Amino acid sequence: MSEILRVNNVSKHFGGLMAVSDVSLSINAGETVGLMGPNGAGKTTLVNMITGKYDVDAGDVQFMGHDITKMPTYQRCHLGISRTYQIPRPFPELTAIGSVAVSALHGKKRQNQSFEDALTDATHYLEFCGLFSKRNVLGKDLTLYELRSLELARALATTPKLLFVDEVMAGLNPGEAMKAVRLIERAKEEFGVTILWIEHVMAVLMKAAQRVVVLHYGKKIAEGLPQDIANDPFVIECYLGSCHA
Amino acid sequence: MELEVKREKLLLRAGTQKFEWHIEPRYWRMPAIWIGLLIVLPIFIYIVYPQLLPTIIDANLLAAIAIPLGWMTIGTGRMNFGPQFYIGAGGYAAALASIHLGWGPAPTLLVALVAGLFFGLLMSPLSIIAGGLYYTLLTLLFPLVFLEVTFIYTDIFKGDVGLFGVLPLISVGNFTLNQFLICMLALFIMLIYLLIVDKLLRSKFAPQMSAINDDEEVAEAMGVNVKKVKIISFTIPAVMMAVLGWFYAHYYGTFAGITYLPLAFMLKILMVSMIGGRVQIYGNVIGGYFIAFLELVLIMLLGDYSPVVFPIILLILLLTLPEGLFGLYRKRRYREYLPTLHVRR
Repeated sequence: MSEILRVNNVSKHFGGLMAVSDVSLSINAGETVGLMGPNGAGKTTLVNMITGKYDVDAGDVQFMGHDITKMPTYQRCHLGISRTYQIPRPFPELTAIGSVAVSALHGKKRQNQSFEDALTDATHYLEFCGLFSKRNVLGKDLTLYELRSLELARALATTPKLLFVDEVMAGLNPGEAMKAVRLIERAKEEFGVTILWIEHVMAVLMKAAQRVVVLHYGKKIAEGLPQDIANDPFVIECYLGSCHA
Repeated sequence: MELEVKREKLLLRAGTQKFEWHIEPRYWRMPAIWIGLLIVLPIFIYIVYPQLLPTIIDANLLAAIAIPLGWMTIGTGRMNFGPQFYIGAGGYAAALASIHLGWGPAPTLLVALVAGLFFGLLMSPLSIIAGGLYYTLLTLLFPLVFLEVTFIYTDIFKGDVGLFGVLPLISVGNFTLNQFLICMLALFIMLIYLLIVDKLLRSKFAPQMSAINDDEEVAEAMGVNVKKVKIISFTIPAVMMAVLGWFYAHYYGTFAGITYLPLAFMLKILMVSMIGGRVQIYGNVIGGYFIAFLELVLIMLLGDYSPVVFPIILLILLLTLPEGLFGLYRKRRYREYLPTLHVRR
């Protein structure tokens, strides 16, 4: 498998707080990599640095051979990086189909694509995520599960090569959570995307991820197979307490 | 080049480019009727009661200012409280060129365009750097600073007296015919602005602006070049407003900052936007005509009391018509063929 993403010794601090410290990571094409760690471990900050929301204080980020460390967010999206958010962030005044059409239209440069073409594309992604019947509902009127599905449809419409899924289980009941997990797995199969999955629920990562990376206080403390990580005494100690990396 | 009719649309393919036009009557019937009425109205007034022509000119100019302001507001996702700054820039540039160089309306139009472009580009980074209330306060401040500058440099701007001796916009010898032709020119400019912004709201540019309006950060993460959209949405409307400054300067033959730069004029433009229909472009036309005629009627009926009653009526309308006058029409004939944009901030 070829390497799709390489993060070399990246660091990020907010004032005196070191959010991410000297983290390196690599993801191969077609992989599902889990990223876990207690609250405040720096998982979302790391994703924000890779997607371009935050500038990197030190280190560099390579995506498919391109150095994207200084690249604007929208250009990273054009290259094939997309994400969902921990707390869903829909376009509240846009309909579901309109939201997805924005991604279909601008996520990747396609020659000669009109807005009508983008709407047609959007229906496909909405149908895939089970939101076709809600296509004309405004973002602000959708339920939490629908919002998570909409976020996934919006991210997929940019035709990503690498998708960041940020805590998809948060706030969902067990039934909805399982549906969400199955949806992401189907997306991986159908669209061939590589996934970096941030999650607290170990059971999900055990099932879906091929590899798991663990962060704690902004540092990478473990990386390996899900089974190994689940039995790693250091990781267990970090989650249950009395660990200071 | 290839022309074809497909799914009730006229398609023109030229090389790698594709252009589409809706030819189904439901898309153009109502706009055609309204544009027809707007053209017939000045002709009718010219024949029956030409004293009303200045009010029609005023209505068209107010609508023409509010239309680009709507685009600016939607495209930047921020409320601009200083549209009169660009009217001032265009007006002073045209007036100075006309007085000092003896230039007529055609060359001074170019000067106004350049002035609008310069100040638009100069100010446009504000829409990226500043947000929310800070942006609104800064835009509110600029026209007032400009007004102070006109008072400080009285040798150039002639203070509150203003620049006079600007060459007339149209001069055919007959005053009434002159007014009629100016009225038609104002209407033409307003309709051109309406067409430009309408076309824009039906283009690929519209979803980008909607997304920016809702959540800039997510829009950028989904591939929208937010900075580019904001700079364009700030600069071009600024140029469009500067052209109206040029119009005012040549129409009245004089240009004084004290008339256009203070808050009173800005409030009138904002009222056109809000009463017309909360930045809905067609609402701006209704708002422009409504405000111009309401002001006239109140002056005729109430005389000195009109400056008090006028804002009270507008305030009541703001509270009772949350979607503006155009909202009344949309509620009755609501058909969402194409995406419409809503401004929250």
